[in-house]
Amino acid sequence: MIEEETLVLDLKTKSKQAQAFEVLVNTYKERLYWQIRSIVLNHDDADDVLQNTFIKVYKNIDGFKGDSKLFSWMYRIATNEALNFIKQRAKIQGVSDTNYQDRLVENLEADVYFEGDEIQLQLQKAIATLPEKQKLVFNMKYFQELKYEEISEILNTSVGGLKASYHLAVKKLEQYLKED
Amino acid sequence: MNKKNNIPFKTPEGYFNSFEERLMDKLSQPESSFPEESAFKVPDNYFESFNERLNNKLENESKVIPLFPIKKIIAVAASIAAIALIALGYDWNSEQELSFSDLANTDIEAYFENNDFELSPYEIAEVLPVTNTEFSDFLNAPIESDNLLDYLNENVSDFDELNFYDNE
Repeated sequence: MIEEETLVLDLKTKSKQAQAFEVLVNTYKERLYWQIRSIVLNHDDADDVLQNTFIKVYKNIDGFKGDSKLFSWMYRIATNEALNFIKQRAKIQGVSDTNYQDRLVENLEADVYFEGDEIQLQLQKAIATLPEKQKLVFNMKYFQELKYEEISEILNTSVGGLKASYHLAVKKLEQYLKED
Repeated sequence: MNKKNNIPFKTPEGYFNSFEERLMDKLSQPESSFPEESAFKVPDNYFESFNERLNNKLENESKVIPLFPIKKIIAVAASIAAIALIALGYDWNSEQELSFSDLANTDIEAYFENNDFELSPYEIAEVLPVTNTEFSDFLNAPIESDNLLDYLNENVSDFDELNFYDNE
């Protein structure tokens, strides 16, 4: 795999930009897709947000200072794009963000790209009840299997805080699944 | 810890130093009752064809060049207006730095209302001092005594409950 610093340098160099961008897209598209999908839930929406994320990365690569890793920078953009997407959609439909997300989960049953059994559907319903941060941490840790250190850099939260968030999220999910 | 009778038990080196970290790790272990897969799927060849679709979108974006870049004009006009406003409103002679006390209560309230801190009532209660808290702290407008008497007249059926006998 190409070194990150070289990749960033190539992305900023006009002559190498196109090729470097393709490497960037190939390296990160799947990981970013699953991060976005865990927030917007629907495949078509995830596809829209993923394309917009890469367009944003492409247009703003000059602004990438290298303070954080390219991976965490892109993950942050993808996360913000997905969260903004949810907020905009909720606004258009005249409902709160929470109500909009409840609708998304309800729609999962009819979604051809969701092949979950009853337990998986219940888990998604339970996840939807979590506060935004806990939801992000749970999805990133449990389903995407990111390391706490990586999540820490993406969400700009201490590792200890993340572990506490994850623990709280797991307890709440267990409680929800027991009650249901 | 100095003790008269030495305990014959030892702990591994650094046990207590790393205890919190190990505890948190254990607490955050995933539960076996959760399914391992999220069950979300993608259409066939979605990732394989993604680059092509992204390139098309990028090309389309770069082709559309507005005759009057209205966003740029608005941005420039807004920047000029903002600078002018700041220049007018700024007290050029003041050298005092802004502090927390300069924030209006309404600004602080608006900030708390508009930002989700994800704190439950219990978490908020943990940091709020319970002593010296009056009902008036939670009310936006003070209760007028007339309103209070009206409420009691209408809602309290057994008036005797309210009688206090000071002379007993």
